[in-house]
Amino acid sequence: MSIKLNVKQRANTVGTLRFVSVFLMETLARWIPTTPEMEVKMLLSRQVWRMAQQADRLGRRGRELRAPLHYSRPPQQDFQSALKQLAAVTDTIDRIDAFHDVALPALAAGYKRYLAETDRLTDEPTVMICEQALAEIETMRRERNEWGSEIPKARATDSSALKAARQAVAGVKDIVDHSEQAA
Amino acid sequence: MEPFETKVVRGVTLRKDPAREPCFTVADTDDQMISWPDWSDQSKRERIHRHMNNEMTTTEVAAQCLCDFPDAPWELRMELARQVWDESRHVMGLYRRLKELGGHKGEFPVANFEWTVSSYVDSAIGRITVMNRTFEAGTMDVMASLPDGWREEGKDPQTAELLDAIAADEIHHVRFANHWVHRLCAENKRNLLKVAQAVRYLDVAQKALSPAPGTTNLVGVAVENVAMSAPINVADRQLADFTDDEISVLLKKHDLESLVAPGAGA
Repeated sequence: MSIKLNVKQRANTVGTLRFVSVFLMETLARWIPTTPEMEVKMLLSRQVWRMAQQADRLGRRGRELRAPLHYSRPPQQDFQSALKQLAAVTDTIDRIDAFHDVALPALAAGYKRYLAETDRLTDEPTVMICEQALAEIETMRRERNEWGSEIPKARATDSSALKAARQAVAGVKDIVDHSEQAA
Repeated sequence: MEPFETKVVRGVTLRKDPAREPCFTVADTDDQMISWPDWSDQSKRERIHRHMNNEMTTTEVAAQCLCDFPDAPWELRMELARQVWDESRHVMGLYRRLKELGGHKGEFPVANFEWTVSSYVDSAIGRITVMNRTFEAGTMDVMASLPDGWREEGKDPQTAELLDAIAADEIHHVRFANHWVHRLCAENKRNLLKVAQAVRYLDVAQKALSPAPGTTNLVGVAVENVAMSAPINVADRQLADFTDDEISVLLKKHDLESLVAPGAGA
């Protein structure tokens, strides 16, 4: 038996995933009044609630890992910068794809990495949260293409803003900052 | 809270309208709107179209609260996030019905009054006071009789059922606002001042934008003949956790004194 992540490291990752979930919830919320297309507003609104629920479950789990209730921990600085770059896109299609095709895969990678590293028995409550989140991410990504007949399709080629956000996010290897300063 | 753009209508400073597709004509006042008192096909479509936009503005107000007040209690933010989703389902339900009745987006002018007023308020407690506890509660009053109107006068049971489902959701949006306004006022009396400021601002805005007697809309109908008003919906207000005292005081409009819990600390 080898337990790769100790309790503190688990709390750090859970707090980081929560930080990212809240950041994405706020980003979607900020886009809703400033995006003209009605059906796009409503698609983003659906995802606000899903991101809030993910953040809520992670926040409650944090307390079970000796962290404060709803503990949020900023991710690595380069990932924070990438998230801010992503949140700054203004075009409607860019916003849809920045969330569904850039942010969600990065978040999913964070959940998968955690699942690969943690002990599935002693950390089963977090495992269940991660697996539920991954299923929800799949649903959200599917909705990008299937929900609502008036959602614009992705461009064949990324705009420069979306391309830059995609590259910034792809350049981050691990989103969790385990340093003491991040606490 | 980040700075935001404003507009001035009849001397009142309001938050600038949220983004709308070019197909929508955005009105500031009732005389720029279109509505009819009858139950003709176009009147039905206009009622649904107007309601659809109102639900959209509520979605936007709740969403804006999430980014404007990141330090609000998490449980309150969860309620707002849930409201965002609820209102978006209302929009899509009404849009679906509008299309079934042969209508389309932008068919009639829309007004974003609830957004322009609610989102101008600079505190979370003030916003939920205006948006949920006043506008949504007012909608709850109107919605008490609306489904029956659609069923009996409009001969449209499908829209009636849709509106009834929406009304059920709205009760919780009012209830959570009641809960949080009471709780936050009990925790800190200064929050009562924020509530009072928000209500005062709402009062000023409503008075300034209210149509003068005899005002007609774009199709020549007297605005007073199509204004949506209704008696207090006591049953739903009780479900939304208004106290009996508050419901009584509501008849006088402003019920601030009921928010002061005995012994509430500063």
